[in-house]
Amino acid sequence: MSKEKTKINVFTKIGNRFKNGINGLKLFFKKCGRETYSSMAFMGLGQILNGQFVKGILYALAEVAIVVYFALTGVKDFIGFFTLGTTKADAWLQLAGDNSVIMLLRGILSWIVLTVTVALYLSCIKDANKYAEIKGVGNVPSFRDDLSSLLNKNFFKIALALPLIGVAIFNVLPIVFMILIAFTNYGGEIVPPELVDWSFDSFRKLIALGDFSQTFGRILAWNFLWATASTAFNYFAGLGLALLYNKKCVKGKAIWRAFPILAYAVPGFITLLAFQFMFSNGGPINNMIVNNGGQIVDFLGINSKWIARGIGFFVNAWLSIPSIMLLATGILTNINTDLYEAARIDGANGFVQFRKITLPFVLFSTTPVLISQFVGNFNNFGVFYFLRKDILTDGYLAANDTDLLINWLYRLSIDNNYYGVGAAISLIIFVITSVISLIVYVRSSAYKREDTFK
Amino acid sequence: MKKVWSVVLAALLVVCACVSLISCGKGGKEIIIRVLENDTAKDKGYLDYLLNAFNEKYKDQNVKAVDANMDEYCDLENDGPYGYGPDVLYQANDILMKYVNGKHILPIEISELDCYEHIPQNAWDAYKANVEGRDVYCGVPVNVQQPLLFYRKDMLPDNWKTDWDKNNNDIPDMVEFWTEMYRYSKSIRDTDKSKFGYAVNLTNEYFNSGFLFSYGAYVFGNNNTDDKDIGLASGDAKIGAKIIWDLAGLMDLKCADESFTNARTTMLANGTIFANVCTPDITTQFLKDLALEYKKQGLSEEQANEKANENLILTTLPKLPKNGDITVEQDVTDETLWMSQKTMGGVNGYGISSYAKNREWSLKFVEFATSLEMVTKRQELLGIVPARDDALTNEDDIATKITFQNLNDGTLVVMPSISSVRAIWTPIKSCFKTIATDGCGKRTFSIDDMQTELNKMVANIKSQIETLQ
Repeated sequence: MSKEKTKINVFTKIGNRFKNGINGLKLFFKKCGRETYSSMAFMGLGQILNGQFVKGILYALAEVAIVVYFALTGVKDFIGFFTLGTTKADAWLQLAGDNSVIMLLRGILSWIVLTVTVALYLSCIKDANKYAEIKGVGNVPSFRDDLSSLLNKNFFKIALALPLIGVAIFNVLPIVFMILIAFTNYGGEIVPPELVDWSFDSFRKLIALGDFSQTFGRILAWNFLWATASTAFNYFAGLGLALLYNKKCVKGKAIWRAFPILAYAVPGFITLLAFQFMFSNGGPINNMIVNNGGQIVDFLGINSKWIARGIGFFVNAWLSIPSIMLLATGILTNINTDLYEAARIDGANGFVQFRKITLPFVLFSTTPVLISQFVGNFNNFGVFYFLRKDILTDGYLAANDTDLLINWLYRLSIDNNYYGVGAAISLIIFVITSVISLIVYVRSSAYKREDTFK
Repeated sequence: MKKVWSVVLAALLVVCACVSLISCGKGGKEIIIRVLENDTAKDKGYLDYLLNAFNEKYKDQNVKAVDANMDEYCDLENDGPYGYGPDVLYQANDILMKYVNGKHILPIEISELDCYEHIPQNAWDAYKANVEGRDVYCGVPVNVQQPLLFYRKDMLPDNWKTDWDKNNNDIPDMVEFWTEMYRYSKSIRDTDKSKFGYAVNLTNEYFNSGFLFSYGAYVFGNNNTDDKDIGLASGDAKIGAKIIWDLAGLMDLKCADESFTNARTTMLANGTIFANVCTPDITTQFLKDLALEYKKQGLSEEQANEKANENLILTTLPKLPKNGDITVEQDVTDETLWMSQKTMGGVNGYGISSYAKNREWSLKFVEFATSLEMVTKRQELLGIVPARDDALTNEDDIATKITFQNLNDGTLVVMPSISSVRAIWTPIKSCFKTIATDGCGKRTFSIDDMQTELNKMVANIKSQIETLQ
């Protein structure tokens, strides 16, 4: 009953908002004068009529630039975004042809320009309307006033403009590009000069194709287990080490602390290569086993699923625990020792003190780090790439039983050129990690009670 | 004021960046040929020699060949169309030919080249492709790679001439026949568990797939051009797989990963292993390590080097019994019982990017780099086996002799040159790993299990080629 009511409320609200919007628009058109209409017809004209000549000319120049862009390339790029090319290139004959990947990129750029154009157009109309109203009452600010405002009150606009453009080009564009690649058949034999097309095939393969969906399901399940278990283990082991080194009874703390820091200081891939060698069949660990009368253990072999997973878990712990330990060591120094004293007086034992004071305090400060550790472990490429890259397991398509999604993605997109499928997997990884991160973060006390320790 | 300065500085930064970008794009009128060579050629100074010689020869022509200065495994498919790839590139045939489908490398009119007559047709075929119904050649062979047997002469038994040379041809039987190699390796293992006779990484797809080829397997059908027909489990390939399994029984789990590859030169030098299979470009390292070992035993540097040269022998791979059973001694005097082992090899050569700024000069560079003088120099500096038969000047160059012989009699199977070849390596490696792991461990596989493993490997390759397409 209440659900139905809520639904009705939501629809009523949306309906009302739409109605208000239409009414507001009608009122706006009724109220606005010739300056606003002029700006609607040609950007900057309204500003000129308002006496803001320089601003008007700048708006007009912007419109000219936009028109020129669309006339020269924008419209072509925009159409190319949908067609992804119609003429195949021939490098032997030096026939340029269409490059679908470039067309996709330029298409995205044309969408961005179009969005900026709409925003600029609306701002121009709004500006013309605003100063047309002011014009009758008081002074319209000159260009010098506008510039001065941009350098003082509105300086943030200038300061943010370049980073914003940078973010749009170097962050947004590649991400959108990657997302869109997932919806094409790009990869395998279909790479430029072949023409790429829009397609849901990558997702269909992931979901519907027997071999593919089976591999995907298995890897995803292991990926979750790995990310959760290794994040939890590394976190508590790091915290445990920090607590241990914080104990008064531990002698030579500096020396003990130096060991994990040394492990942390060695570049990760060198550590991974070293572990790969150590656990190889001819490596030092097996040598020791053989020298003591034992048989070689196939730690990372074809049938060593759980041993190899365990080694990966251990190696990852070796690489990650020191950073958590350092972080926790810093945080622990901020805990008010009076709290422990009060707890002791109240009769709380060591474990209760840890559960009620230390853990909440450390968790509060480290939730974002915990999330980043989870995401990092979910996408932990290095560990199993270095340990078991040459193995394929039965029942897995182009993967083995220790591969994580990111390793599979690498095998598919780099080893085999299946970019579309690779992008689809990245998109799924992105959705999973971002949803989990958001939920965990929003539900954490670090977010809910942000001001508590400020 | 500070804000004005910050805006001005930011603007200046942008202008400077733009100016430097623009100036980067500008160049003189000089024709630049960007050459991508492999790292060994760079390290050993061959690339510098080649570039200098070319530039010296054409110094009046306003042309200059330079090091492309990029990773030796550059991706022409993705970089070339945007102007970032090299003009001329030196790669193995499978790498170079994967660019043919997209027409990223140019077809070359090979009959007009000076080296045409001197390179065997089999080597040319590695660069042959059928594009739009027309046969084209997209590379010029420079050297041929194939695995050879390396062994220590001083580790042969003292009585080898009487007991291990039954066919009286002055070649020890253990390096001439796989059954004898098996028998000798087993005797070494039985005497000392820390030593091995024949020891190799059995997961290595280049060195071991020859066992499958010898008994009827092939990579792709229709002369390695039809990826719908994957033949790695065809014929009696299972017999070849059983040989890998049998050989694994002579080793331990070190044969199922890179352990024997990483330590092969030191193990051969310190006598842990008697024989190993490897490509001839590692010869220098084998000799160096062996000489070092002799020096440790008290010899002078000169004596050590001399002894190393004398005792390290390179030879063709042993002959296989036609019935495929290497564990049972067979009559080595009866030629009809034996056949040469096939091996997988590769042909490295030059190709020209379709995006080369100057095609004519790029071709001239390739002609120069494949001239007799340059190939001979390459052989001298890098120890490669040249593809030109007239570069075979040294009668003692066994590697070259064997390679040419194998290339001519078809026992050297050149890697396929179609793009699907990239899907075969990991499945082959993984399959060999399964067989080798069982062979040196539980030893539970039957001959039918070998076939099952090969079928799985083929299914895996098929999935990668077809399912994902």
